[in-house]
Amino acid sequence: MKAWRRVAAVARKDLLLEWRGRDAVLPAGSFGFAVLLVLGLVSGGGGEAAPSALWVSVLLAAVLAAGRGADREGEEGTREVLLLYPGSREDLFWGRWLALCVVLLVLAAGLWCAQVLLFDAPTRGAGVLILAALLATAGLGAAGTLLAALVAHVRAGPLLMPLLFLPATVPVLLAGVRLSETAASGAPAGPWWGVLVVFDLLFLLVGPVLFELVVEG
Amino acid sequence: MRAFAVGGTAALLSVGLFLALWGSPPDAYQGEYVRIMYVHVPAAVSAYGAAAVAFGAGALYLWRRDRRWDFVGRAGAELAALFSGLTLLTGMLWGKPVWGVWWAWDARLVTTAVLFLLYVGCLLVRDLADDPERGRRLSAAVAVLAFLDVPVVHYSVVWFRTLHQGPSISLQGVKLAPEFLLPLAVNAVAYLALLSVLLAERARLASLEGER
Repeated sequence: MKAWRRVAAVARKDLLLEWRGRDAVLPAGSFGFAVLLVLGLVSGGGGEAAPSALWVSVLLAAVLAAGRGADREGEEGTREVLLLYPGSREDLFWGRWLALCVVLLVLAAGLWCAQVLLFDAPTRGAGVLILAALLATAGLGAAGTLLAALVAHVRAGPLLMPLLFLPATVPVLLAGVRLSETAASGAPAGPWWGVLVVFDLLFLLVGPVLFELVVEG
Repeated sequence: MRAFAVGGTAALLSVGLFLALWGSPPDAYQGEYVRIMYVHVPAAVSAYGAAAVAFGAGALYLWRRDRRWDFVGRAGAELAALFSGLTLLTGMLWGKPVWGVWWAWDARLVTTAVLFLLYVGCLLVRDLADDPERGRRLSAAVAVLAFLDVPVVHYSVVWFRTLHQGPSISLQGVKLAPEFLLPLAVNAVAYLALLSVLLAERARLASLEGER
């Protein structure tokens, strides 16, 4: 089987399970919405707090969503079966990454809508926001896929996942907030596009290599 | 050899401490608080060094699966957590009297805290893994990942507008008066010697634990 077909098969499997069960998007999305509400409440709900609230909620929802795929395989005992299939395990990484990116994009879009309604945030600069969301999703997806596989065989894995994921993805949070602010105000973006691109490149290069080593039996 | 290394390091640390407390004049702006720099900067340099060791040993362990690299990597990760924690602590002790706050939301401070947390995660992953071999592999992977933060910490003061001052010693030159440079250099060497001794001792202890 060609590599891209393996990647597509893994991504299809994850997305199909998600479509049938909705056990990542719904809980993670609801959690992200709860985070938005709490942040809105404590910050007074002003428009200036909207970008921070949006990206914090996306990041925290991403922690839950990223861990869900690996949890599902653990619960159903399919992880070992998947590893027994012939071919490179890198393809598993890319398949999971693709599926997680789709889930994260859905979450980001839903949370952005909620943020616009709750914070009365401006909707200017949609192009900048979409590009930022795509770049952020690529990096968060890679970090999430790698770290979810890493904590899958660790006691208290769900507790360790945020401890590793949140510090590692601070650049995405910062860049996302700053780019959202500049999209609304029209100010120059400064170094933040570069920060997102470098983060993506690092995790997309290192992620598959470490993933292969991490998922070994 | 071991006694010589420990003795030499103790002597270097003593000379460094003497120079920091009595050999350095107070700074015109910071006053006596400048003396914290003689622990803070060497601790940060040692944290980078320990992180580099954890990265190199982690990568070699993942490649060769030789337990000896794991012993070194474990020591490196523990010392990276220790020295980055010490860097944060001394930075906060200096920050309160000089900046007026214990903590500032500054790129250098946040990236150093991120480095500390990543090494804490690295150590936890090892201890909480469901089997020891997997723990070694996972913590080596996290050590490789965590090292990516080191250049971000170092260059954060160049890339971003930060409250933390830029590098005083760089390829562009030295922006430090000689009376401050000498104690700083001696303490940096002393801390790197301390790092080497602690690395060797911790790796030896880990190998003895591994042989049981």
